[in-house]
Amino acid sequence: MIPVPRRLFGAAIAFTLAVASPALAQQLELKLMAPAAPGGGWDQTARAMQQALVAAKIARSVQVTNVAGAGGSVGIAQFVNGAKGDGNQMMVNGFVMVGALAMNKSPVTLEQVTPIARLTEEIQVIVVPASSPLKTAQDLANALKADIAKVTFAGGSAGGVDHVMAALFAGAVGADAKKVNYVPFSGGGESLAAILGAKVTAGISGLSEYEGQIKSGKLRAIGVSSEKRIPGSDIPTFKEQGIDLVLANWRSVVAPPGITAEQRKTLNDAVEKMVKSDAWKDILKQKGWDDAYLSGDAFQDFLKKEIVRVTDVLKSVGLVKS
Amino acid sequence: MTDGTSNRPAPRRVDRAGLVIALALAVLAAVLVWDASQLQSATTYGMGPGAMPVVVAVGLGLLAIGNLIDALRGNLPPRESADVKAVLLILIGLALLIAIIGFGGGFILATSALFVTTSAAFGRRAIVTDIVIALVLTTLIYLAFDKLLTLSLPSGPLERLL
Amino acid sequence: METFAALAHGMAVAVQPMNLLYALIGVFLGTAVGVLPGIGPALTVALLLPVTYKLDPGGSLIMFAGIYYGGMYGGSTTAILINTPGESASMATALEGNKMAKAGRGGPALATAAIGSFVAGTLATIGLAFLAPWLVDVAVRFGPEDYFALMCVAFVTVSATFGDSPIRGLTSLFIGLTLGLVGIDKLTGQPRLSFGVPELLDGVEVTTLAVGLFAVGEALYVVSRRHHAEEKLEPVRGSLWMTAQDWKRSWKAWLRGTMFGFPIGALPAGGAEIPTFLSYSTERRLTNYPQEFGKGAIEGVAGPEAANNASAAGTLVPLLTLGLPTSATAAMMLAGFQQYGLNPGPLLFAERPDLVWGLIASLFIANVMLLVLNLPLVGLWVKLLAIPQPWLYAGILVFATMGTIAAKPSVVELSMLAGFGVLGFLMRRFDFPIAPVVVGLILGPIAESQLRRALQISLGDPMTLLQSPMSATLLAIALIALIAPFVMKGLGRFKASED
Repeated sequence: MIPVPRRLFGAAIAFTLAVASPALAQQLELKLMAPAAPGGGWDQTARAMQQALVAAKIARSVQVTNVAGAGGSVGIAQFVNGAKGDGNQMMVNGFVMVGALAMNKSPVTLEQVTPIARLTEEIQVIVVPASSPLKTAQDLANALKADIAKVTFAGGSAGGVDHVMAALFAGAVGADAKKVNYVPFSGGGESLAAILGAKVTAGISGLSEYEGQIKSGKLRAIGVSSEKRIPGSDIPTFKEQGIDLVLANWRSVVAPPGITAEQRKTLNDAVEKMVKSDAWKDILKQKGWDDAYLSGDAFQDFLKKEIVRVTDVLKSVGLVKS
Repeated sequence: MTDGTSNRPAPRRVDRAGLVIALALAVLAAVLVWDASQLQSATTYGMGPGAMPVVVAVGLGLLAIGNLIDALRGNLPPRESADVKAVLLILIGLALLIAIIGFGGGFILATSALFVTTSAAFGRRAIVTDIVIALVLTTLIYLAFDKLLTLSLPSGPLERLL
Repeated sequence: METFAALAHGMAVAVQPMNLLYALIGVFLGTAVGVLPGIGPALTVALLLPVTYKLDPGGSLIMFAGIYYGGMYGGSTTAILINTPGESASMATALEGNKMAKAGRGGPALATAAIGSFVAGTLATIGLAFLAPWLVDVAVRFGPEDYFALMCVAFVTVSATFGDSPIRGLTSLFIGLTLGLVGIDKLTGQPRLSFGVPELLDGVEVTTLAVGLFAVGEALYVVSRRHHAEEKLEPVRGSLWMTAQDWKRSWKAWLRGTMFGFPIGALPAGGAEIPTFLSYSTERRLTNYPQEFGKGAIEGVAGPEAANNASAAGTLVPLLTLGLPTSATAAMMLAGFQQYGLNPGPLLFAERPDLVWGLIASLFIANVMLLVLNLPLVGLWVKLLAIPQPWLYAGILVFATMGTIAAKPSVVELSMLAGFGVLGFLMRRFDFPIAPVVVGLILGPIAESQLRRALQISLGDPMTLLQSPMSATLLAIALIALIAPFVMKGLGRFKASED
């Protein structure tokens, strides 16, 4: 029961210090919302932050709450309405939420929250079965241009990052993104089986999920979605192959709307300190996440661009009414 | 749908509760068809999202007819009279629970309310004892979840004292 | 043989006294957390994973296996005792198990669940050790059309849960199918039957439905008939332990359950629900005591529990050989591996045989520990039922709602729980069977999405269902199972409800 003594210890400190100097960052008592059920990606991110913030003594206590539902739509609604102006609350979110909010016609949007920082990201990959005649991204592009209906993509849920990528790929190679034959599967496991069994033409997923199969030669990676080639990897990027497609599945943390500039700075500083702490680096290594720290205005711009891009794609494939 | 409680089982007579059940199934089928018609078809290939609801609706429609025939023939199994008051008491407990959670009253108060009403529905009259038992039990549950498992249950005024 | 030597080595590591202790602690913690309603095995593992961080890889894996089995068994305990299955896989266990507990046979029910889990876990672990590489090749050939055909077999088979009247059984099933439609359509992302309520977009949670129908509905029903005959709950009637007849009736069910659970669990989209329901229906058809089904038949606990555990071992096949986590629990195990920088997948058997065999040996050990810890506790658990009726049902309702509150503390979710409780009450009162509702909710969406995937890949050509040999075979089986009872009129147990 390792986490327990630490919590109790934290609580004990909380009692002794509660009266004294409230200005110190170390006095932070944070509430962190994971807008998903315990166990998923956002929950893991939230709990990793909790662990790192407390271990690095940046915050006195961090409480994780889970508000699951509809790709985060339920969580963000509660966050925006219930935590308005509260400088001690944050919420974890990510790429998938952008699409989910648009598709669910959520009255609350990511433009309403106060962006704090992007934390991690995962590179996406397109794979084909080892037996497939397609060798490069250009081969796949040619197949798409020849008959887009016959090229089936397997990936995660409709409107998620894999789906967006299939549409972006088709658009980037000059095929009609509207006609992409994308087959959503629940969870990476099922789609991987469909690819290994050569039931579909190609598969899309986060790179780490398929890494083992790629190394063992059961799947062939025909391209990754990063800007530059991953060091030490022999998988070419799409850009190298002349296809303009850069995409990552990112996770970030945001604060409620209506907080003061000072509160925002406190949270920014806390997250920045956390990202630089050894505790956080250990967790990233343990979980195999890539550091993608981006904060302040740069993150705000990034978020805006992603919202526009994702919404456009989802409109083009008919998932969001224009 | 709760009527028919006073209906004495008489074979070969129209069963009113059965009629209500048949009607409810037919309404459900209609809702399904209506909802399916609201969908915009985004699929270019294969079967759209509206196909399955229509299939289910057709099934429900047929079953509504089947249940209707059963009801008209009085073919429903016999049932005994029910203690409506006791059932209502538990339902009030559930309503209280939902209301207390909804208005931020916290886990302990909400589940204690349910405990006490249920226990009363089953014939207990020692309300004060039960309130004490309920508060102790739910406080222990709350502590186990919150402190040991670090899973947060909704907190209200009582939980903040802990 | 190489496999034996490797396994023996793994065993030698696992039976060191320290490691045995870790296994025992793991099983204890897993059981303690798993018995809390609303906390299924996946969440149990997630919550307790940090406990294992401080140990070396060997010890940690062993404790992990213990937590896993403990969590699974803890879930069955609540399903049997208070009718609140913590996860969809223990739904079938609750059907007969709770009836047994109420008839004073909670002891044998818990015992057959524990021993059945042990037998199935052991057999399935052996299967995992020897068949994994071969099974996985078959499993990845299973396409959407084959899964759809498998669902058809499941639908036909589970008609055994329908009771005597086909109209009432089908009505229940279609209510379940309707509930299964609620939420975002998996293939097009469009909301169905959600009426603009965001909480409904994720669909109806299986555990909310089951706990509502089973636990809340039962409480309402019992209280409504209180003035007729005081329901007597005797915690123990007859032997606390399994009798010779219990053993005789259980062992075949354990084996059959394992036969369903392991291969279907090994399929990437197989899951644990289908084998448990298949096992339940099979036992119901094959039993020599059909009159006991619905009133507490021990086969109905033994089979599904074995199937559940065997399928859990089955999910390790794709996990270890392909790195495919096919269930929430398997995903947590993957996280467990990753903390040591291990990536399960095609290379794991080749690169780290010591750990793979260590894990398989730990599963054996954890299984033994589960028996050691839980059989003596059976007597204690059944005493819970000696609590006076008002407090017992009040406690059951508190625990039942607690599960929902812990998972999703929203007014909508709790209202659904209460609504399903009322539905369960009305269905009991008007004599509609409860189980088919849950079956419809679980199987309906899977069948629909697999069929639609198959048709999307074949560009709308339905012949794809017959072109795959596996799918064609399964559809033929379903057809035969559907027609046979009518052909062999009089032999089948299909009673005509009309006179």
